[in-house]
Amino acid sequence: MNQKHDQIYKRNFWYADWSFPIFVALFSAGVFAGTHMYYIYKVGAFNEVAIVALLEAGIQGSGYGAAAAFGASFLFARVLEGGLVGVLDIGGSILTGVGIGIPALLLGAGITLPIENFFVSLLVGLIIGAIIGVIVISIRKFTVGQANSTFGSDVMMGAGNSSGRFLGPLIIISAATASIPVGIGSTIGGAIFYLWNKPVAGGAILGAMALGVFFPI
Amino acid sequence: MGEMVVILFKSLIIGTIIGFPLGAGAARMFHAPKSQSMGAFRTIGEMNACQGDRASHFSFGFGFFFNAWASTVGAGAFTQDVAHRIIPNWSAASVLRKGKTLEETMHNPVKMSIAGAIIGAIVIGFLSITTASIPAGLRDVALEVLAPAADWLINLAMPVIFWLAALDAGKRSGFWGTIFGGLAHIIMGNAVPGVVLGILIGKGVDDSGWNRVTKTLMTAIIILFTLSAFFREIDIQLIKSLNLSVPHWLDSLHDLINPK
Repeated sequence: MNQKHDQIYKRNFWYADWSFPIFVALFSAGVFAGTHMYYIYKVGAFNEVAIVALLEAGIQGSGYGAAAAFGASFLFARVLEGGLVGVLDIGGSILTGVGIGIPALLLGAGITLPIENFFVSLLVGLIIGAIIGVIVISIRKFTVGQANSTFGSDVMMGAGNSSGRFLGPLIIISAATASIPVGIGSTIGGAIFYLWNKPVAGGAILGAMALGVFFPI
Repeated sequence: MGEMVVILFKSLIIGTIIGFPLGAGAARMFHAPKSQSMGAFRTIGEMNACQGDRASHFSFGFGFFFNAWASTVGAGAFTQDVAHRIIPNWSAASVLRKGKTLEETMHNPVKMSIAGAIIGAIVIGFLSITTASIPAGLRDVALEVLAPAADWLINLAMPVIFWLAALDAGKRSGFWGTIFGGLAHIIMGNAVPGVVLGILIGKGVDDSGWNRVTKTLMTAIIILFTLSAFFREIDIQLIKSLNLSVPHWLDSLHDLINPK
């Protein structure tokens, strides 16, 4: 399988190292612009509810520290690992690092233009992605075949995933505090999603919204 | 109505430019490590699991699509599954043909990236537009419920979860996670960044010792903490809580850097 001639892997746009930064740049531009959409229209962040909530906390004024450090350390760990193993994990590096961490760093420093303007967001994402792509390829060139550390990104990923699970019950508690009908809707929604093997958080929000139609908070 | 058109326009652009490299990256994963690719190990595993069968690829993506939709409508978050599972698997489903080998279809970056661009635009456009068409009152309910939950998650649940993960990950991660976690809550108001950095240092040293990378990292963390503490005037607050008087030179240094 995959016995292509070595030349193709060196020269051909679709397979070669030199084109890799272009692909990362495009992807990162889209993800960064998605965060712009979320910032302006509250829809469009390419991440889990729990991780987007980190950024939202910053937007609401409780500080960007958590989102920035969480995103930036993922970016660091995944870029290093990407060059070493040949697969760049887009979840940690681009979706969380570029989509949440870098916007949080910028917003925390008071730089809002790249997140407020769509075209600037595309451009900034493109540049960040190209830099990441070049770094990954250089790590790949300098460390051929060396095994190294992933800096505990598996530990963080595990913790990140279990935080996501906490959100479901927390949403139901919050809905039940808001009002009785919304609380009932949220409870039923969460229970149904659990039976369907879907995350409880999604059902809890939808259930709260469904009852919120008839009984506004 | 005007805003709706803008959202659709932006979503189509975003969907196209993320779908294109996702398709190419996924196809390149089957050529790793010869070809540097992007995606995730779980994505390769899952794509291999339904290898060659259009219906499996499609329904695998569809299972996650429903969940992504709920999360987008409720909280504006697409979930990572859009990039990890839905777009790669639906692109694969759309390029697979009877009588063609996998090398000609799912492992071919040219076909996969074109399919990815089209599917990306459709998926992102659909998710954003359906969410944006929900009446504002309904979204307010969602935000009203979500905001306190997110607040508890960030200020209590997440620090504890990350902290416990650090303690379980070994003596070094636990030690540095505890030190940096406590300091981070004092300095930054949230322990998560500190615990994450503690895990980073702890596991880095576990795996490769105190080499140049881990030492640089440690220095960077100390500088980060010192600067944040200084800019948030933690030093002055500390001196005041010890019932001492703040030296004049320190006050003037703060005024110099951060004029009021």
